[in-house]
Amino acid sequence: MIDSGYVVAVLVAMGLVTFALRALPFVAAQWLQKHPAVQSLGEFLPLAIMTLLLTHAVVGAAQDDSNGPVPELIAVVLVAGLQWRGKNALWSILAGTGLYVALRNFNLA
Amino acid sequence: MGYIPLGIVFGFLFVQAGASWWLAVLTSLIVFAGAAQYMMIPMLAAGLSVGTIALATAIVNLRHIFYGLSLLNKLPQGTLARWYLVFGLTDETYSVLTTMPPSTDHRMMVLITFLNQTWWVLGTLIGALIGAQARVTLTGLDFALASLFAVLTVEQWRVRKTSAPLWVALTAYAVAYPLAPGHALVLSIALCIAAAMVLHARSGRVKEPGHD
Repeated sequence: MIDSGYVVAVLVAMGLVTFALRALPFVAAQWLQKHPAVQSLGEFLPLAIMTLLLTHAVVGAAQDDSNGPVPELIAVVLVAGLQWRGKNALWSILAGTGLYVALRNFNLA
Repeated sequence: MGYIPLGIVFGFLFVQAGASWWLAVLTSLIVFAGAAQYMMIPMLAAGLSVGTIALATAIVNLRHIFYGLSLLNKLPQGTLARWYLVFGLTDETYSVLTTMPPSTDHRMMVLITFLNQTWWVLGTLIGALIGAQARVTLTGLDFALASLFAVLTVEQWRVRKTSAPLWVALTAYAVAYPLAPGHALVLSIALCIAAAMVLHARSGRVKEPGHD
């Protein structure tokens, strides 16, 4: 059982960090808008960071998996393909996770 | 409504990791950030320090800074409504708000954010109660997080004019991982910021010849 006091401390920290990031543009708008580099980062970073988080998660999963990285890559391609065509996040995630769980637990790949 | 099933999976995984059901609900009430909440589960299970988890949250949610920048003039000035909208500026809320006409009533925006969070909290509660009933030992359920990142990557990719950030990011990770496997994520983000600044400086020179 994970200690509840520890979880609450983590939650408060996460809540504050998340809110601070979301609020930053509204309190520092003038400063941020004065710097064209910020706009440029705003164009570039969201896709770059998402790609990195995805890569990092896939690499982490592949390291836990003796058959890696084949099941991980198959599942990611499925999710990305479904999402690109269907734009239904729920189905993409359920299908990808379901396939991955099946591959891992029944040694299909 | 799309938030209910994602909330269920979050609540389920959270309780399966060994934390109390009410903490899952509390998370969705006070953090309200899908990807970061999924990310925290293995970190809580591993007992990582509060500071480490806070830093990881900052990395995952860094994109939210840029959400606010594009909504600066759209949000109401009334303090309470404004700050609740800022608090609730998730990927989903952002994508709904940015597709609404500029004349949209502010109460409508608050309502949308509130409904999004209600579905998310409700889903979390359902998932947590299911998860508290039985332990399921299936490896790979946490791949839901990688799947969520894949979905968000595709959605970011769709709205960008160029796929350069994606290729730069993959290259950065390929460089960072052999150097420092334990810090590959932070290092590759730093590389991406550096690359973005270099690209920015170069595009500035192309647009304004002679100006440097």
